[in-house]
Amino acid sequence: MLPLPPIALLAATAAGQLAHCEPMRLNDLGHLLQVMGTFMGLSLFSLGGGNTLLSEYHQISVNQFCWLSSTQFADLYALAEAAPGPSSMLVGLLGMGAGWPEGPGWALLSAYGAELAILLPSTLLMVVACLRWNRLRDSPWRIAFERGLGPITLGILFAVGLKILHTADTNTPGLIVSLLVCVLMLRTRLSPLWFMAVAGVLGGLGVINR
Amino acid sequence: MRLASCRPIPISFMTDPPPTTPPGTPPRTPPSSPPTPTSASGTPAPIESTPPTLRQLFVGMLQVALSAFGGGLSAWSQRIVVEERRWMSNEEFLTGLTVARLFPGPNQINMAVYVGTFFHGLRGALVALAGMLLLPFTLLMVLGLAYFSFHSLPAIDRVLAGVVAAAAGMALSMGFKILGQYRSDPVALLLAAATLVAMTVFHVRLVPLVLVAGPLAMAWYWPRAGVSRLPKP
Repeated sequence: MLPLPPIALLAATAAGQLAHCEPMRLNDLGHLLQVMGTFMGLSLFSLGGGNTLLSEYHQISVNQFCWLSSTQFADLYALAEAAPGPSSMLVGLLGMGAGWPEGPGWALLSAYGAELAILLPSTLLMVVACLRWNRLRDSPWRIAFERGLGPITLGILFAVGLKILHTADTNTPGLIVSLLVCVLMLRTRLSPLWFMAVAGVLGGLGVINR
Repeated sequence: MRLASCRPIPISFMTDPPPTTPPGTPPRTPPSSPPTPTSASGTPAPIESTPPTLRQLFVGMLQVALSAFGGGLSAWSQRIVVEERRWMSNEEFLTGLTVARLFPGPNQINMAVYVGTFFHGLRGALVALAGMLLLPFTLLMVLGLAYFSFHSLPAIDRVLAGVVAAAAGMALSMGFKILGQYRSDPVALLLAAATLVAMTVFHVRLVPLVLVAGPLAMAWYWPRAGVSRLPKP
């Protein structure tokens, strides 16, 4: 159903299921710091407004640390997109999933920790960039970075889109709705909340399922 | 220019066309001493009110976040920061958008950091960030707790299956949104295709991918006198 080579898809699914995955629960501060370190390391790779990290988030929270099932990841992504505010707050939800088995207290703590960790490095870099912008603006580094990383971001965004589509894993009507929403996002100025509301009704009626 | 129209736009990824700041205009000396991170404006745009205090910055960003509850965060922040509170000129704001898109991090959050840094450096950045995130993040936490408590209910799961299908369509559209600007640059398309194949077929992780492909692409696009690797517009 997806434009991915079947063998690669098979390998990916197999790796996802067979890989020995020890659920790492955030039931002590050491784990929490480890998770925060993981997100901090990714922060500076959030090109293109942060969406380039979505595949990596899936890898970390589903395959590496087993905080969430793939379905839950898709749910949380949709939740973060539907909720007001920057959709990059998804990281907070991932952190919440990591701490949830230990109770709501840990869930909230690791949610705040994860969000703080993903934002801190990029924020500090941004502050430096703002203060030095006059010098940076015409620097060849700036120009090369902007022009060079643009096409790579483009490729990553396509890969991320396919990854999310694969993670959503809905039936054929669901896939048709996904493709339709994609076209409508590009062709109209309608708020995506409408698409999600209509699709939610279709799901409730049982037209879309997974 | 999409954002200049100040209409709330649905959701802004980095996909809006980059704002056009006039290149090579002489730097403008700021009216007050704090290091203004911009020099995009040729004419000295008058800033009518005094720079916001930390408290005003926080409240302003809170207002931006609250106004944008239906979407269109960037447009709302322009309306409030530039038009209503007149903290900075439109050129300065657009420069901020350029910087926010260029550097890593979510665009809207980087924009809040820019506005905060503009007036109060690192302290301002953190205050603006807190103001921008306080309400949406609290709401998201409530939603998240509700999700983890109730997601196994069949009715909830069925509705979510539909919402997820729509969200997947939104994710799929991200690449197409910026595809247009590379249409006449075959090297860029080749780079993008190679990146796509590396990630989907060979499962190369993001960090090594960017660390290898990034410098190569930067070398190719390094500005050289007389040689333009960019297609003529």
